[in-house]
Amino acid sequence: MIRTARQIGRAMAGLILLLLAGCATVQPWDRDILAEKKMSFNPSPMLQAIDDHIYFSKEASMGGIDAGGGGCGCN
Amino acid sequence: MNGVSSAPLLDRVEDYFVGTFRAMASPCSVLVDTDDPTEAEALLAVAEEEARRIEEKFSRYRRGNLVDQINHSNGRPIDVDEEAALLINYAVTCYAMSDGMFDITSGVLRQVWTFDGSSRVPSRDAVRNCLRHVGWWRVGWKQPTLTLPAGMEIDFGGIGKEYAVDRAAVLIGQRTRSSYVVNFGGDLYMSGPRRGSRTWGVGVDDPDRTGEVALYRLDVSRGGFATSGDASRFVRRRGKRLGHILNPKTGWPVDGAPRSITVFGRTCMEAGTLSTLAYLQGPRARQYLEKQDVQFWIV
Amino acid sequence: MRLQLEPAKPASALRDILHTAALALLLVPGAAKAADTDPTDRIDFTTLLYGEQSRTQIFEPVVRFTHLMSDGQWVSGQLGIDVITGSSPTGALPSGIVQTRTSASGRTITSPAGQIPMAPFKDRRVSLDGQWQRPWGRLVSSTLGGHFSREKDYQSFGVDGKFSTDLMHRLLNITIGGGVSRDSVFPVGGTPAGLSAGTIIHTGSNAKNVSNVLLGASRILSRVWMVSVNGTRTFESGYLTEPYKLITVENRVTGAPVSSLTDKRPSTRDRSSVLLSSVYHLTDDVVYTSYRYYWDTWNVRSHTIDLKYRRVLDADTYVEPLLRYYQQSSASFYTVGLIQGAPLPEYGTSDYRLGKLRTITVGGTFGFRAGDVPGSFTVRGQYMRQAGDGSPPNAIGIQRNFDLSPSISIFSAVVGYTFDY
Repeated sequence: MIRTARQIGRAMAGLILLLLAGCATVQPWDRDILAEKKMSFNPSPMLQAIDDHIYFSKEASMGGIDAGGGGCGCN
Repeated sequence: MNGVSSAPLLDRVEDYFVGTFRAMASPCSVLVDTDDPTEAEALLAVAEEEARRIEEKFSRYRRGNLVDQINHSNGRPIDVDEEAALLINYAVTCYAMSDGMFDITSGVLRQVWTFDGSSRVPSRDAVRNCLRHVGWWRVGWKQPTLTLPAGMEIDFGGIGKEYAVDRAAVLIGQRTRSSYVVNFGGDLYMSGPRRGSRTWGVGVDDPDRTGEVALYRLDVSRGGFATSGDASRFVRRRGKRLGHILNPKTGWPVDGAPRSITVFGRTCMEAGTLSTLAYLQGPRARQYLEKQDVQFWIV
Repeated sequence: MRLQLEPAKPASALRDILHTAALALLLVPGAAKAADTDPTDRIDFTTLLYGEQSRTQIFEPVVRFTHLMSDGQWVSGQLGIDVITGSSPTGALPSGIVQTRTSASGRTITSPAGQIPMAPFKDRRVSLDGQWQRPWGRLVSSTLGGHFSREKDYQSFGVDGKFSTDLMHRLLNITIGGGVSRDSVFPVGGTPAGLSAGTIIHTGSNAKNVSNVLLGASRILSRVWMVSVNGTRTFESGYLTEPYKLITVENRVTGAPVSSLTDKRPSTRDRSSVLLSSVYHLTDDVVYTSYRYYWDTWNVRSHTIDLKYRRVLDADTYVEPLLRYYQQSSASFYTVGLIQGAPLPEYGTSDYRLGKLRTITVGGTFGFRAGDVPGSFTVRGQYMRQAGDGSPPNAIGIQRNFDLSPSISIFSAVVGYTFDY
């Protein structure tokens, strides 16, 4: 169990380094599309929060939610 | 990365700030030669607001706005406000100076033409039928009242972006002494030299490789740039590329015009109008521009 | 080819005419936007309507208020009410005959033959949330949050915070955060001893401490594409058992239920997750995809795949279908039932939510503005189908004939309204 966690931890560190290194660069004047509101990892936060709560109470998993957020007696 | 206000982010390049957002279906940037990020952010916000305001008001794709009301007026007279009246007057001036080639009622021809790079070209009958709804001479215009016959449409696409650039530039100029550039999709205005008397660099694109290769690099400080051409929207017919700018008298794309015409003028509107008027001259574009005593580049 | 431009040559007559006309246009003061300030406040109303086929129904209205200050700071507060009614499985096994039980609140419950026993419940939960974010310079921001929630038999309060910084010309963002909460469980009728016939050991509250950390990195890969990796680790300790759930003790030969014991779970749980996300912009539309892998010290492992496609219809309108696939493996101490006479395990649960499980969700969101009404609306409908292992290999006797984990269908709808002013 701990072995798997370490492997995943290492994989994640590797992924983060890959992101850090990266290849392409986007010039500041090409960031028009990225500035749109729908270009977000969480474009509908209210809906996402409701979903996270539903799945948290019907499944055993958690995470992906921001740190914190209400607890409930549902799991 | 996004909070409540999803404002465009500011980037620092060399010793100036760049902010980019999307409006009028193009990447829009504002460059400000300052060390103060608050100032740059405020000016960027002003430019974005103005770009969106103009797009909201004059775009033919927005339901319920002024242009939409005019285009659905079905022959009823519509009173327009001062800004719209002056824009229409400007368009009429262009119509008169171009012998009717620059015509804001030619937009309705897009119903028969789709410029998607394919070889789908409308029939002569379809074009002829559509031409019955083209021609500024059919329009009743006595400021502030516009009477557009049913079936006709007006389209400010040919001057809207350049107008937005110059308007944004005016509003920014009222709020700062720093030098700046307003660039909406390649139509731009520069207010003056950077600190240290340095110039802004501008590139004129190779139309076959837009964004990749600049055919000319210019060291300039003040003025407006605009480009007309067939680089982005066209159809192919018998191996020939036909640009998307249509001749309002024939209903067909202007024939024989250069691939790309870039003009440098005192303002972006001047540059844009001249490049469009030149393009409408087809093979005589170069002579036309030479007669105007203006700096231009033809590809 | 670099050209130095000469000062402008004397202009032609045409240029002068155009220039004059343009100047008149550009200097129209009335055309400028009225001294309208940008909106600084936002109010969000969101309501969830949720229904599981013959099980739980939830009605949950939420209101959130956000205020943006001139220096880039913002504060936000949210109030939510959860009204939950219905019934949920106790974890006990079905039998060939009608079963009756006394519930924790003293009522007698009858379970029909052949169906998994359920327990009714009704609860109302109130939750309060607050956040405060402030920028530090252009590239760094910090967020502080707190939450409090209360229902009949559960209370939770906690604080959390995170730091976020943009690097590499704002192409990379790194976020670090953490939080702690203290939850109290006070079951109706008192806390039963684990794996017992329901002996009440005390009537006070039980504490559950939760702390978590998160580390995330997001990167812009191109003009139209951004990706992120997020990892979280959560540590729970204290009373982690579900006091109302039951495990059936079965006859070792026939599988018929003989009696039931209460749930018992370990007092610690380390939970970890890794989430990979991508946002990709097509000509007008956007594709959102994500994958999450989760694992914990109770041996539950899960995979989640989430896909959303936002089809933009015009500046204010979109349609966004969604698809989610989830699968989890069972906890190490999950058991279908205990055998009469066999020694008791250290921990045990028959709660289907800790068993092998698969959930598939399809749905769609519609975002629009209503004519002249200010603000924007969102309406979302979702259908979820959840199923466990209905015929586990270790089912014995009559249990083999029953569907021990019937698929449930869940319908939910969310209506939202956002107003900026």
